[in-house]
Amino acid sequence: MLHEFAYHRPASLEEALGFLKEKGSAATVFAGGTDLFVNIRAGVAKPGTVVDLKGIPALRTLSWDDREGLSIGACVTVNELLQHPETSRYYPVLHAAGEELATYQLRNRATVVGNIVTASPCGDFGSPLLTLSGEVVLLSADGERRVPLRDFITGVKKTIIKPEEIVARVIVPVTWAGAAGGYEKLKRIKGHDLGVVSVAMIRHNGAIRCAVSSAAPTPVLLPDMPASSPVKEVQDKAQEMISPIDDVRCTREYRAFMVNVFIERLMKHLESARQEASA
Amino acid sequence: MKAITFEINGRRYEREVPEYKTLLHYLREDLGFTGTKEGCGAGECGACTLIMNGKPVNSCLVLAVEADGAVIETIEGEAREGKLTIVQKSFDEHHAVQCGFCTGGMIMSVKDLLRRNSSPERAEVIEGIEGNFCRCTGYEQIIEAVLDAAGRGAAEEIRQRDAAASSKKGGRDV
Ligand SMILES: Cc1cc2nc3c(=O)[nH]c(=O)nc-3n(C[C@H](O)[C@H](O)[C@H](O)COP(=O)(O)OP(=O)(O)OC[C@H]3O[C@@H](n4cnc5c(N)ncnc54)[C@H](O)[C@@H]3O)c2cc1C
Ligand code: FES
Ligand code: FES
Repeated sequence: MLHEFAYHRPASLEEALGFLKEKGSAATVFAGGTDLFVNIRAGVAKPGTVVDLKGIPALRTLSWDDREGLSIGACVTVNELLQHPETSRYYPVLHAAGEELATYQLRNRATVVGNIVTASPCGDFGSPLLTLSGEVVLLSADGERRVPLRDFITGVKKTIIKPEEIVARVIVPVTWAGAAGGYEKLKRIKGHDLGVVSVAMIRHNGAIRCAVSSAAPTPVLLPDMPASSPVKEVQDKAQEMISPIDDVRCTREYRAFMVNVFIERLMKHLESARQEASA
Repeated sequence: MKAITFEINGRRYEREVPEYKTLLHYLREDLGFTGTKEGCGAGECGACTLIMNGKPVNSCLVLAVEADGAVIETIEGEAREGKLTIVQKSFDEHHAVQCGFCTGGMIMSVKDLLRRNSSPERAEVIEGIEGNFCRCTGYEQIIEAVLDAAGRGAAEEIRQRDAAASSKKGGRDV
């Protein structure tokens, strides 16, 4: 059973932002509800009103162009992203990560933006979007601000979002469009478990970028390194930057170990992808 | 309470629904559609799977009010006048049903899979039911049942029913 809350479905951005400004933290927005309703059911979230963003056409867009890059609106589901041809063509790392998220029917509801706002250290879109220099567009009745994803997520399930703001979209710039990429996730059961630890990696113009999830309070982005770097150098850099913990899912040592395994696997995978492409 | 209109298995409903009630609970408790089950109530088991606007979803994580204007398909819409669908018959013949708790949701996932892919490979069947737990069968019989049903024209049966339903448009009011 859920506690008694009110439901509001604004039909426009203006209506939604005005409503949030008036209600403040008594209102909670949602898109897929796959995090929110689980939290309400568990008594962790107790909103007075839930605000359904799916009635706002402006938040449904998923588009790509060669100047702005990929724009993922707040109501775009993970399955919609996976079916979008430009996403798999230009940002294979995003596609690979999306496929790892939950189950088919959950992906019909779960959104990319909801995943980022939840800001779980084990969320599947955090690390791939970090490697791609993703940006978050925030809107409120008072205006718009655009912040890099790395500044948006500040801690375990913590972001800089204010109660009267919504995330309108996530933008993936063209800088890394076309970069080969891969995502490796350790989990107990496919589709029914958050990641125990995961690594996203892209390779572009002789450089690699790597980010690690579930191994620190926020996903960790390594500095760019030459693609010719020895595997050990990248592994050492990652180990220096992560701070894994022991928890119900696994031990600190196992997490650290698997980060190294995934880095090696992804570097090999991206190297052979490059050789195939140039052959 | 909010007034909403929706369609379930070809019938139109106009109802006042509590804003905080899940679609799963509303269907089971208020409308008597108890074929859709609640296992975990948290998106994990798939027992509550139904098809909403052409997409399978976990109805334990959908509010009834969100179904305003929606077209919903549940397991109750499958057998007609006592006649099982090809998928249902195949589940029966392959012993893909033991306690039956997962079956309603499982068959809705299979229906959606066969709409997208009329002759799935074994791996595609496994992927198609990845969101549906079965605690009895060990899945083997279910996978066999789906492969066999696909070979016996299950996708074509679904397509013909969809075509008949769309030519009838509107649905009866309840
Ligand atoms: C069974 C199950 C398995 C799961 N498996 C995975 C998994 O493998 N990997 C993974 O990463 N996640 C997983 N999740 C978590 C969840 O499905 C994802 O995080 C999903 O992407 C959330 O999207 P949503 O639209 O459903 O979020 P919602 O529940 O709608 O929202 C999530 C949070 O973000 C806020 N919010 C949403 N949209 C906005 C917006 N536009 N502006 C401001 N705030 C907003 C909401 O208030 C809420 O706090 C799983 C969840 C379940 C129930
Ligand atoms: S009851 Fe909905 S997924 Fe388990
Ligand atoms: S038949 Fe019992 S859970 Fe599947």
